[in-house]
Amino acid sequence: MANETKGVTREGWRLLLGTLKLQRRALIMGACVGLAWTLGKVSVPQLTKLAIDRGIDKNGSLLFWTMLILAAAIIAGFFAAWRRYIAFRESRLTEMMLRERIFAQIQGLHVGYHDKAQTGQLMSRSSSDLQQVQGFVVNIPIFVSQITMVLGVVVILFLSDPLLAAVSLFPLPFINISARSFSHKIHPAVLAVQQEQAQLANIVEESVSGIRVIKGFGAEAVQQGKLNIEADDIRRESMRAALIRSRFLPAIDLLPSLGLVAVLSLGGHRVINGDMTLGGLVAFNTYLTMLIWPMRNIGMTVAFGQRAASALLRVNEILSEVPAIADAIDPQKLPQAGLASPVGAVKFENVHFGYDIGHVDIRVLNGLTLEVQPGESVAIVGATGSGKSTITRLLLRFYDPQTGGIKLDGVDLRELTLSDLRRAVGVVFEDTLLFNDTVSANIAFAKPGIDQETVIRAAKLAGAHDFILELPEQYDTILGERGFSLSGGQRQRIAIARAIVADPRVLVLDDATSAVDPTKEHEIRDALATVMRGRTTLVIAHRPATIELADRAVLLDQGVIAAVGTHQELLATNEKYREVLAAWSSPQVVE
Amino acid sequence: MWSGGGRGGAGRSGIEDDQKLDRSQTRVVLVRSIKMAGEFRRTAALAMVYVVITVLCTLAGPVLVRHGIDAGIKGKDGHALNMTVVAYLVVVAIAYIIGRLQYVALNSAGEGFLRLLRIRVFTQMQRQSMAFFDREKAGVLVARMTADVESMSELVQFGLMQFMSAFLLLFFAFFLLMSLSWELTLISLVVFPFLIAASVKFQRDSNRAYLEVREKVGANLSALQEGITGVRVIQAYAREDEQIRRFKESNRELFRSHLYSVKVSTWYFGLIEFAGIASSALIVGLGGYLVHKGSVSLGTVVAFVLLLATLFDPVQQLSQLYNTLQSAAAALHKLFGILDAKPDVDESPTPTALPATGDVVVDNITFSYAGSVKPALENVSVTLSAGTRLALVGPTGAGKSSLAKLMARLYDPQSGSVSFGGVNLRDASMDDLRRRIVVIPQEGFLFDGTVRDNLLIAKPDATEVELLTALDRLGLRERFEALPEGLDTEVRERGSRLSAGERQLVALSRAALVDPAVLVLDEATSNLDPGTEMLIEAALERLMVGRAVIVVAHRLSTVQRADKIAVVADAKISEIGTHAELVALNGHYALLAATWNKSQPH
Repeated sequence: MANETKGVTREGWRLLLGTLKLQRRALIMGACVGLAWTLGKVSVPQLTKLAIDRGIDKNGSLLFWTMLILAAAIIAGFFAAWRRYIAFRESRLTEMMLRERIFAQIQGLHVGYHDKAQTGQLMSRSSSDLQQVQGFVVNIPIFVSQITMVLGVVVILFLSDPLLAAVSLFPLPFINISARSFSHKIHPAVLAVQQEQAQLANIVEESVSGIRVIKGFGAEAVQQGKLNIEADDIRRESMRAALIRSRFLPAIDLLPSLGLVAVLSLGGHRVINGDMTLGGLVAFNTYLTMLIWPMRNIGMTVAFGQRAASALLRVNEILSEVPAIADAIDPQKLPQAGLASPVGAVKFENVHFGYDIGHVDIRVLNGLTLEVQPGESVAIVGATGSGKSTITRLLLRFYDPQTGGIKLDGVDLRELTLSDLRRAVGVVFEDTLLFNDTVSANIAFAKPGIDQETVIRAAKLAGAHDFILELPEQYDTILGERGFSLSGGQRQRIAIARAIVADPRVLVLDDATSAVDPTKEHEIRDALATVMRGRTTLVIAHRPATIELADRAVLLDQGVIAAVGTHQELLATNEKYREVLAAWSSPQVVE
Repeated sequence: MWSGGGRGGAGRSGIEDDQKLDRSQTRVVLVRSIKMAGEFRRTAALAMVYVVITVLCTLAGPVLVRHGIDAGIKGKDGHALNMTVVAYLVVVAIAYIIGRLQYVALNSAGEGFLRLLRIRVFTQMQRQSMAFFDREKAGVLVARMTADVESMSELVQFGLMQFMSAFLLLFFAFFLLMSLSWELTLISLVVFPFLIAASVKFQRDSNRAYLEVREKVGANLSALQEGITGVRVIQAYAREDEQIRRFKESNRELFRSHLYSVKVSTWYFGLIEFAGIASSALIVGLGGYLVHKGSVSLGTVVAFVLLLATLFDPVQQLSQLYNTLQSAAAALHKLFGILDAKPDVDESPTPTALPATGDVVVDNITFSYAGSVKPALENVSVTLSAGTRLALVGPTGAGKSSLAKLMARLYDPQSGSVSFGGVNLRDASMDDLRRRIVVIPQEGFLFDGTVRDNLLIAKPDATEVELLTALDRLGLRERFEALPEGLDTEVRERGSRLSAGERQLVALSRAALVDPAVLVLDEATSNLDPGTEMLIEAALERLMVGRAVIVVAHRLSTVQRADKIAVVADAKISEIGTHAELVALNGHYALLAATWNKSQPH
């Protein structure tokens, strides 16, 4: 790993250790089991030596030594299996716990964070990065036992014949060095291949989803040209990786043979001279062979560890992000509804707000003041970019205003808990997101586990009941990306039913009818009128028919309220209002 | 493979079928891949030779040790020992050199093959008709070109080599062992049947567990994705805790499936460890007995112990690699499936050139989408005269979009014909067809690259002058040049840097660049910001000048400006005529027009 990243890597290691502390007992257990395996394994060449020298060369009890080797085999086999089990269990556990922490963190992070974060990035943090971590943790028990094995074997070899040990062990460190160096060199090469593969995937993906354009213009050759380039790139990068492999792997495979040759040559002459037994020679050889795999593996594990550390560092970037929107430390409660005191009063007081997009602050609201009485419905009308939808987002506290404040029933939003606030404010978004679950669960989204009658009642009110009954499994039909797909209008009605179940004191219809076929709009309008009755409602819309549902309309322009009145009044008196509406519905010929 | 065992049950076999091919299918796939490998066969053959040499080198090691012990050490012959050592060093050197060459040769053959496969499959995929793309899920097609091809790269990188070496090693080792001592060979063979049986059972169990894991990984990933993409709605409804609980559920299920897969497989690793040591115990014990009897030499026993150690890995590898090989065969089988898919809307072998202009005549066509019983269009006839506008209106799903697409030959009708200037579109040259009739889809789809790349996709050989003239003709040149880097602005991630309106402007400009005789428009239902919308409208008006236009209309204003309006309902054209005629008819159209009128602001 390069020098400049060393400090960063150390931070990653620290994190890894911190995570592993939680599982230290199981990991220590794994290490102990690994040591037992080492013991069994290391004894085998000694026993073989004794068997050859005492059992075969001299007339000792061959059976006795053979049985001892078998016993060692049982020990090594049993503990090898146990070690593996512990290693996998613990590494999957690490992965699982980290993934849960990431998910919980993602759920709690403010919307401003999600505006900037890419879905794919977050996904790979909790999949491929955790895979790296798991790949390292799983190696820990084996790593520990291999290190002890290497140490044990080296000690045995030096005790039995220091010179021969020195000569025969000479090539071994090179295995370790080569393995590490190989791992470092091959990693970027593999990443480069993956990157080219991703680019190819991207071209295939856009060719499939843009097939209408391609077919429409006969542009197959253009895409083919792009794909050929990527296919060539993949081959080039793969060959580069293959060359690295060819440089290292045969060498790593053959280095131990040099040790064996040394043993044969040096040791052979010693046996001829009578300084060494033949069994000793064989044992020496066997020990050397035993070291090959651990030496390789130790080198790889170190490299794995470095990768795991930097993966964990990326994971930690998410985990250490502090949610900018959080519950108040000493939260207040919303006043309860009473006969004399209706709830649902919303008040925007001199609100200034802008989005911070890549260091550019885009001003949206410039001192907006708006008061909505309990039970009143207000339509908010304005051109694109006038800040209509921002009002929804601020009311939900997806963002906080930079200056000014918003109050719900007299309480500043920042003094409420997020869940109290969001249970009190219900939104029907322009784009209805359906979750991969049943129709019922999607409707009962705000109150999971609510009884089926309530769900059906809400669906009926939202005008969704009839089409739901026509779905393959009615209320049990699975929706979402992997389920049954509904039309825009149907999705919208599910969203309205969702809002009905939530039963909020303030309802926001954020462009809720725009995705709906104009000929079907009236059906939804009726559903909306039902939900709005007696409930504070903000209607963000540009279709006159939807605007007319509200008691009054406000015109939003340049981030402030430019005009207030009923729809008819504004139509009659306000030029800008007419302009905005006309622009929305002007001779709409769109391709 | 399940039915024979009588275990596992019918439910499981379905999953297995998906994964594995039967013997004859595998053979077909392999033979075909070898045929396809054509130009790489020579390199591959060379690689084979290298593999054989390295295997022989591997086996030479223990044999030389035996020779050294028996002739040198036991015979107290220092010279013989030295010669053996030198020979050993030479073998190591050869093994190293050939080992490097073998990697390079195998990889270059393998990667060349994968490259060819990628290109061929993609070519064939693109030749398919729209019906193919309707039928196949986008994700599946992408997976074919990525995951399925990549599943073979491991094989190419080292799997195939390991497989061949392992196989050859076992093959040669058997003869070698036999020549050294048939008694000891029989003794060592005792272990192998158990080892092979264990390996097969292990493979089967862990495979099954793996399928389970894969399924849980999929479920977990989609729960994750839902949590990320849906975070705004989740937070808006204060549902975080519930969502976290659900995620944990799927996450723990994934953990359990991982644990299960370890449980069913871990014994195997213990057994292998045990068998490895136990077999050398057997050799030492029984071999020692034979040495005492004088029928084998001590050197032979030592060589056997060393050789057996080198044979254990190959046996394990073989069963593992056999599996990789099988899944690669399954992947290839799927890819060949695409290569074999015959494009159903293909160019005629003797394409006819199309005239520069002409009427589009739809003559009594019937069309249904694959897999649907109800026809989307039934006995429909309509004529679009050169330079006129035809609006298609009607309820969603009644067939108006299908009709528009058939008029551009994105599909072929099951019966009847569509012709342009008297030439049946089935006989027309595809190139000509795409230049005469252009479809502009609802959404302006953008490809990765610059705005210019995106425009040129319509006509890759267009000159800069042609491009700018086309933009000028629509009055859009300034608009595009106003982008941060003008036409060279990168659109990034499917055009996230361009607004929806700008994306549509790109779509219109593409059409202008092609300069077709007929435009097929699918009008968007959603709204854009008013400024861009007006710009689009103006550009579109200019684009339509002098061309025949078929528009799938959702708006009254569009319809009113058409020369002819056709109401498509229940797979048929129920009414056709001018706006005034149809209003007078007081049918479906009159009703629609009235609804539209109501939703207008004035």
